[in-house]
Amino acid sequence: MIATRPYRFRLEPYIEFAKKAIARESTYRFEVFTSIGSFVVRVYLLRMVWTALYARNAAPEGLPLHAIITYSTVALLMGLVLDIDQTRLLHDHLHDGTIATDFMKPINVPLYFFSDGTGEVLFHAALIFPAILLSLFLVHIDVPSAFVLVMFLISFILGYFVGFFINFILNCIAFWTLEISAAQLILTWVTDLFGGELFPLVFFPLAVQNIIFALPFAAMFSTPLLIYVGQIRPERYAEVIGVQVAWVVVLAGASWVMWRFGARRVVVQGG
Amino acid sequence: MPIIRTRDLQKVFRSIKRRPGVGGAISALFSREYEDKVAVSNVNVSLEAGEMVGYIGPNGAGKSTTIKMLTGILVPTAGTIEVAGIVPHAHRQQNAVNIGVVFGQRSQLYWDLPLRESFELLRAIYDVPRDRYRENMREFAEILDLERFLDTPVRQLSLGERMRGDFAAAMLHDPKIVYLDEPTIGLDVIAKEAIRDFICRVNRERGTTVILTTHDLADVERLCERIVLIDKGTVIYDGPIERLRTEYGTHRTLIVNLADSYPEFSIEGADLESREQNSVRLRFDRRTITAEALIRRVTERYSITDVAIVEPDIETIIRRIYVEGYSVQPATSPA
Repeated sequence: MIATRPYRFRLEPYIEFAKKAIARESTYRFEVFTSIGSFVVRVYLLRMVWTALYARNAAPEGLPLHAIITYSTVALLMGLVLDIDQTRLLHDHLHDGTIATDFMKPINVPLYFFSDGTGEVLFHAALIFPAILLSLFLVHIDVPSAFVLVMFLISFILGYFVGFFINFILNCIAFWTLEISAAQLILTWVTDLFGGELFPLVFFPLAVQNIIFALPFAAMFSTPLLIYVGQIRPERYAEVIGVQVAWVVVLAGASWVMWRFGARRVVVQGG
Repeated sequence: MPIIRTRDLQKVFRSIKRRPGVGGAISALFSREYEDKVAVSNVNVSLEAGEMVGYIGPNGAGKSTTIKMLTGILVPTAGTIEVAGIVPHAHRQQNAVNIGVVFGQRSQLYWDLPLRESFELLRAIYDVPRDRYRENMREFAEILDLERFLDTPVRQLSLGERMRGDFAAAMLHDPKIVYLDEPTIGLDVIAKEAIRDFICRVNRERGTTVILTTHDLADVERLCERIVLIDKGTVIYDGPIERLRTEYGTHRTLIVNLADSYPEFSIEGADLESREQNSVRLRFDRRTITAEALIRRVTERYSITDVAIVEPDIETIIRRIYVEGYSVQPATSPA
């Protein structure tokens, strides 16, 4: 007779999931080159656009040309990581039905998707270093003090979790619809525009800004970026980072609810 | 004590009632009317450890619904299940440690990575001790001939190679029970045989309990002594294959090659099944006439060159049960 051990939670499988995701991503070498290539092109284009715009218009307060170019370049660097849909695997597994075999394994299934996404993101985060080097040939990037840099990193990581949970919620919709590509497209536009990735949110009229700051997207790009370029002063750090933490908590809660209802649909309706 | 036991197992799927057409689709968005579809009802099955059972039924009979409940990913509407002493859906993860699954139509291997890496991942997931892992890997590589493609990415493997990989993957953690869902679908004869050998060996040497769901009844005939037949959600037969054969295999076919073309060929006590030139197929009930008597009857009237008797295969028998339903005293009239 075969002896089986009682199930207990171990971290090892989740570390392995992340490692396998890194290995998987590295098999798509062409992807790596295209993402670096398109990054370089976008840095160059944005430098051109901002230089042309600033030549004809007055700079907004506190955002001279070198600051806006720094803003855009750092935004593109962040985008290398934040623009990844790290929980796409959830949607894929719902779409092709492999979610059933995921549930047949002795694992915590949402944590599995989290680990896989983390591995994917870590792989792409490694691209940030060559991307910085390449962008230095094209533009000058302002570097703030070490304290600001640390606060930026904290805010960036919180922004990452905001993005992670937004993606997770979106991918959970596939529990009901199986297909989410239209919603994803909308999300990409909304993040580009209202997240502050394409341009600083101060360019929006005040009334629109109020609406934007009521949405979670600004917590992804805008907050860390404005900390970086010094638009948000240290006395407001507690407030803006507090808002980011609040968004993480709210979105994590919403993700949990979505997962619970979605997973129940699988166990009751058979996927 | 049985390793798997279900009692009055039932699963009802509920869906929103839909009228046809665009109007129906729109009203379905707001409708609160539901439609219940009984997928499985009153399934009582019990398996002893080490048994190999074929779980057979036409499409939509409730096979995979039952398997999903046994694996713990589907919660039954009513009734109870116990697998290796636990309730699967209440302790999904513990149950997952006890079982292995192979789906012919779906792989659990990492598509982009070499086969070996999927095995290493599974070792981590199931916490297989290193020496046990090495031992199993050596044995499976030998039986399934994996060595040649262990370092090939799974997406480049042939279906036969991938299935062999999937089998090794399912058995790596020494599960007590394995569920095999159409494991030989789409495979060539040689690959099928290799897979069947492997299942047989695992069952014999490790005492693994096997539930096999398939439409390929050759798998079942080769591997299982017992079959459970399910149709429209209920178990219609549970017992040895042999009994099914004796109960239902009442009709045989006599193939006769005629020495001359007899346009008006007919024989009392047997039905002409088909005729191709001088070769005729006669279906007869072995309870009303023996083969010997029938051959004598034919040779008395016609001159023949050859005869052969064909036993009904399990496929024919089961097809008949699907069509006519199962009853202990099967109808004698030919279909």
